[in-house]
Amino acid sequence: MDPILPITIFSLAGSCLMAALLVIAGIIGISGFINLLRSEPVWQRAGSVLLVVINVVFVAGFLWICWFHYQIYSHFSLELPANLAGWLNRQLMLMNSHAAYAFPLYDQANPPRYAIPLWIENEKYYFWYMCYSIMALIAHCRIKNYRFRAVLHLILSVQVAILFFSADPFSKPLPMFFDEIRPWIEAGQAPMERVRLFMSMYPKMIFYYNAQYMWFHPPMLFMAYACISLTFVSSVFMLFRREPAIELEGYVFAKLGYFLLTLGLLLGYPWALKAWGPNWWWDPKICSSLMMWAVFSTYLHTRLYLSRTGMWYFSSILGILCFLSMIFTFLTSYYFPGEHTFQ
Amino acid sequence: MKTKSSYDFYLILATAVVLFVISVVCIYGMFYFKLALVHQMPSAMQVQYMDRINTIISPFLICLILLLGICVPKRLLPTMWLNRFAVTLIVVAGIVSFCWGIKTSLIVVLIASLVLQLLVLVMALAGSQSLNFEKKGYWVRLGSSLLHLGLILFILDLFFHENQTLHLPLFWITTAATVAGMIFCFYADTVNRLVRRKPQADDHSEKNQVCF
Repeated sequence: MDPILPITIFSLAGSCLMAALLVIAGIIGISGFINLLRSEPVWQRAGSVLLVVINVVFVAGFLWICWFHYQIYSHFSLELPANLAGWLNRQLMLMNSHAAYAFPLYDQANPPRYAIPLWIENEKYYFWYMCYSIMALIAHCRIKNYRFRAVLHLILSVQVAILFFSADPFSKPLPMFFDEIRPWIEAGQAPMERVRLFMSMYPKMIFYYNAQYMWFHPPMLFMAYACISLTFVSSVFMLFRREPAIELEGYVFAKLGYFLLTLGLLLGYPWALKAWGPNWWWDPKICSSLMMWAVFSTYLHTRLYLSRTGMWYFSSILGILCFLSMIFTFLTSYYFPGEHTFQ
Repeated sequence: MKTKSSYDFYLILATAVVLFVISVVCIYGMFYFKLALVHQMPSAMQVQYMDRINTIISPFLICLILLLGICVPKRLLPTMWLNRFAVTLIVVAGIVSFCWGIKTSLIVVLIASLVLQLLVLVMALAGSQSLNFEKKGYWVRLGSSLLHLGLILFILDLFFHENQTLHLPLFWITTAATVAGMIFCFYADTVNRLVRRKPQADDHSEKNQVCF
């Protein structure tokens, strides 16, 4: 791949960023743990500075990923010999005549290119945790309770550890995507073999990698996941202390999370119709997403009655349940087969 | 005598219970899907699986739609009339179901809800103070009305999923209503500032605003 795409330089620089993230997150995690156990806050100013630095490193890494995707877009295309274009377009027109959603025809002057979104494969974890990091910084600035801040820092350090040890987007970038395109890059294929490969890669390019919904549906859900994590932290605090400022902060993120989750789920609907047809009802991921939405809706409804006896705790338990159902929803992609599977 | 607030509270509790049961059925469906290897079955058997889960979940969806049908007029009617309306709605739904089938009766309930919700929306838009909302504030009320209208339209749209011309346009109307509803509801103060509408005496700070 290296002659075509700058994978080595992407991995090297990216690994340096990841190492920096791990070190800073480690320090902030230890500081968070110590603050959680102590009766008096320590290293608050240093913690704030480190949180800002983590955010800067996260954003730098994200820009690096953007650059790499731009390289894929500019340097790689599904280009076919000119004499095959006419024949291929006749085949595509024949397929389009029977399909609800048409394939774009092949344009020799502008062959199809991969405009890969910035949240596929391991990059989705990076994006999700970066969103959490930004939101944690906002919450950190607004809430002065040092234990609340400590929990935010601890969760961030756990996320960075997961990213570094099992979901690093830089060390082996986009492995599934490169496995898919590797046969195309290998030289010496007969023209018809080239066409066969084109026809096996083109549908996924159109309905998955280059789908416009890909730029809205997944990122909205990952941002919603980050918001739910913040709501979870405030809900845990609600169980132990009646601190309205923390409850209100959790509600601010719950509102944003609910907005993103609802819109994200809705935008997945027309995409599912387009990409899979009607046979996706009762797909496990959709079931669990609907459950999460139902729990979240219930949480927001119960907040109407916070002043009633017991509702403060009921609401906080629902906030925690929201987070657990989010984890469950995310993990369904690994455990359950279906259209959303990562298996 | 029960107050309007406690009536609301019990309706919300009932909705939460029905949603919980639906969630349990979803979990059952997920594990069944995994253990019976539904994804590896031929299409006909996959459809059979979908029909089977649809049959299990139908009664709870019917309950949910009936609850929605009862919830919508709570904005318009006093508690006593709400009770009468609820009983009438259930009786009418039962009669329609007996004569023309469950699907028709559910569509009747949904269309009745839609008409009432549109009435609520128009009144909220006009700034009517006679609507019964838990919280006050022009944008919160308008947002809540739009949000619930979106929900009714979404469920109604599912009934028309086989209608190619109606399905997707209705879906986008649903999405627009829901998004506008959430923005007005959750960010009422910001919207108020943006449109420079004179705040009413009963408008609350956005931070404490609670929707629905």
